[in-house]
Amino acid sequence: MVESKIAEVLKDTKHVIDGAMEAVGQTKRVYGARLLMRGLLWAAMYVVARGLLETAIEPQSLRIAIAILPVPFFVWWLWTWMKGVGQMDELERRIELEALAFAFPIAVVLLMTLGLLDLATPLNSDDWSMRHMWAMMPALYYMGLWRAQRRYR
Amino acid sequence: MKNRLKVLRAERDWSQADLAGQLGVSRQTINAIETEKYDPSLPLALKIGRLFGQCVEKIFLDTDGK
Repeated sequence: MVESKIAEVLKDTKHVIDGAMEAVGQTKRVYGARLLMRGLLWAAMYVVARGLLETAIEPQSLRIAIAILPVPFFVWWLWTWMKGVGQMDELERRIELEALAFAFPIAVVLLMTLGLLDLATPLNSDDWSMRHMWAMMPALYYMGLWRAQRRYR
Repeated sequence: MKNRLKVLRAERDWSQADLAGQLGVSRQTINAIETEKYDPSLPLALKIGRLFGQCVEKIFLDTDGK
């Protein structure tokens, strides 16, 4: 049981790291290694928070504090990303926009379908809850980035 | 949009990176303009015109225009 949980967390972490590696390759000129390092720090905080919350740690207030632990690191990563977008040239910004325009509607449709499927037939929350699904969104963004980069190569 | 950017750049013996540096854009942007995969914004087109000392219409050719 514990091994499968660890494997699950490691699998999610691998998705985050894979995506971050692609981002560095494609936007190296603007960000250098900053985006990767801050993204890895955010992912590490997520893994730590999730690992702690899956134990029987008490009290409830401490659990809530642990749950929001990754948020400041996410904000730091987001600030880096937005600052980087501000330094991009017009084509690079267009590529970012196309990546988001690809990822956002697909994420909406997938989440909508997941919600309807959950009504149609109760889904196993160990496999299909939001704590697994959020990682899909950065993955879609990187797919969109790869697609847009190819278009203008 | 068709353009003479590659010819003008070659006349001055500039690489894509040289031109990108002078315009403050990435080399990928210059390549995308030259290969007609991307049309530059008006400010960038005007900047290109100023750099080559030519008006925009002489660099970017409106193939749809009558």
